[in-house]
Amino acid sequence: MGAGRLARVRAVAANTFRETVRERVLYNLVFFAIIMTLAGLLMGQLSIRQDEKIIKDIGLAAMELFGTMIAIFIGVGLVAKEIERRSLHPLLAKPLTRDEFFLGKFAGLGFTLLVNVLVMAAGLAITLFATGRRVDPNLAKAVYPIYLGLLLVVALALLFSTLSSSALAAVFTVGMVVAGRFSDVVRNMREVAPGAPTWLVRFLYYALPNFRNFDFKDRVAYGDPVPLAALGSVTAYAAVYIAVVLLLGLSAFRSRELS
Amino acid sequence: MSAAAASHPTGPALDIRGLSKTYRTGLLRKSSRAALKGLDLTVARGEILGYLGPNGSGKTTTLKILMGLVLPDGGSATILGSPLREADWRHRVGYLPEQPYFYDYLSAAEYLDYAGRLFGMSAAARRERGNRLLETVGLRRSAGVPLRRLSKGMMQRVGIAQALINDPELVILDEPMSGLDPIGRRLVRDIILGLKDQGKTVLFSTHILSDAEALCDRVALLRGGELLRVGDLAGILGADVSHMEILVAGLGREALDRLAPALKASHPLGDRWRLETGEKSLGSIVKGVEEAGGRVLSVQPVRRSLEDYFIKEVVERTEYGWELEG
Repeated sequence: MGAGRLARVRAVAANTFRETVRERVLYNLVFFAIIMTLAGLLMGQLSIRQDEKIIKDIGLAAMELFGTMIAIFIGVGLVAKEIERRSLHPLLAKPLTRDEFFLGKFAGLGFTLLVNVLVMAAGLAITLFATGRRVDPNLAKAVYPIYLGLLLVVALALLFSTLSSSALAAVFTVGMVVAGRFSDVVRNMREVAPGAPTWLVRFLYYALPNFRNFDFKDRVAYGDPVPLAALGSVTAYAAVYIAVVLLLGLSAFRSRELS
Repeated sequence: MSAAAASHPTGPALDIRGLSKTYRTGLLRKSSRAALKGLDLTVARGEILGYLGPNGSGKTTTLKILMGLVLPDGGSATILGSPLREADWRHRVGYLPEQPYFYDYLSAAEYLDYAGRLFGMSAAARRERGNRLLETVGLRRSAGVPLRRLSKGMMQRVGIAQALINDPELVILDEPMSGLDPIGRRLVRDIILGLKDQGKTVLFSTHILSDAEALCDRVALLRGGELLRVGDLAGILGADVSHMEILVAGLGREALDRLAPALKASHPLGDRWRLETGEKSLGSIVKGVEEAGGRVLSVQPVRRSLEDYFIKEVVERTEYGWELEG
């Protein structure tokens, strides 16, 4: 990617980040801080081993939940809202290609989520430290895959955002995320629907994004080891899946009429 | 200047050949509506061309195809010597869309800065150019106000400023006077004339025909996706006087009835009358008014206006009549 193209992608990304900040998306951090404070206070009543695990569990789950909500509900508007409001018309008349605009939007929301996840991770560490528990560096091994999963949600939201309205895109993205979280149910579909063709079940299982791949929360909370190879695998899975989804989105966006 | 532009320094700013577009509508996209039917249009460098036509005539579709927002079904175009599909010309063109929406969480200064970044301008150049443009469009004091707090007319001015951020050679404005008050319209007129003085080319669509008459070197009249007429105003309207307009006072109803055979029309204006007659009947009408004890307040030759032409050509020629404007 040339310097000019990169600069334009960065300009769109920076503006997308600025929009999320101005639209008070990062206010969710306040809720996270409240949850962490309450968790810290309440867990003081429990045994020393259990409470640390529960605080980690709550912190990581909240991080994933808030991040997913932001990824879906901001992500579905990234392109669809721009088309509906026609705010991208003056931009695309400039030396900004549709590809640059699309990738800039992805990068912008990706950066917003990175800031969100990092601040939440810091909040979790502060809660553990403030309540006299050990700040476990292995937390990063759960936070990192959560962030990869969020990037995949953004890519899916962006894809549906180019194909339909914000509302429909939200429905499709939520559907994909829910299906992806229960991929085991899809794999065992033949137990409740014996008539379902094997090839269809197998296709659905592999085609749907498997969000369980990104879930290292329990392992980290219980102190089980997380090998770097596992993180490498999930990184490769995320990279390939995100790339495919973004390419599909780009292809749809390139031929989209902006009338 | 790019290599492409350098190789066509005197060629047209815009050359459209056989541009066509049909919109498919409906759930199964079986319905269709032809928005453009083989449009040919050339805009010379340094001229102001008014692009006129009723709603649905294809003006905005043309401009959107040029800007790459809508994909044409057929035809081709070159902008500043470069084919549409090439990106080179985008650095040298400014565009104001119809009813623009800009990010309302940004201020005017921030939006111009963002627009400047997309052209690869340095921070200093963006700041300097942005400040100058905000001054030009009369928004210097509102530079830091979020756009959501600006009026529609002020937003339109921001739109004009962003279209000029790159000091373009060709400026394409879709309904630039829309939503502007008389002061804003005057300001935009001055900006457009200023661009011409700088040797820029301006193509603008408008419904406000008096603006087109005041600003344009040539006008192109579009109807139903086809170019009805293109040329300079004198050529289209003709230099001949269409009728004489006489303003009279103190004229009774009976006297007016006696003059009626020589009149084309008469309109009461309080205690006065505005009479319309041909050049040949002017003398007899003036004499008749004076003989009846009335007073001639003024006599004015009236030439055919662009609006007259527009109404006659666009509305009267169609069986749909005024529905075209809906």
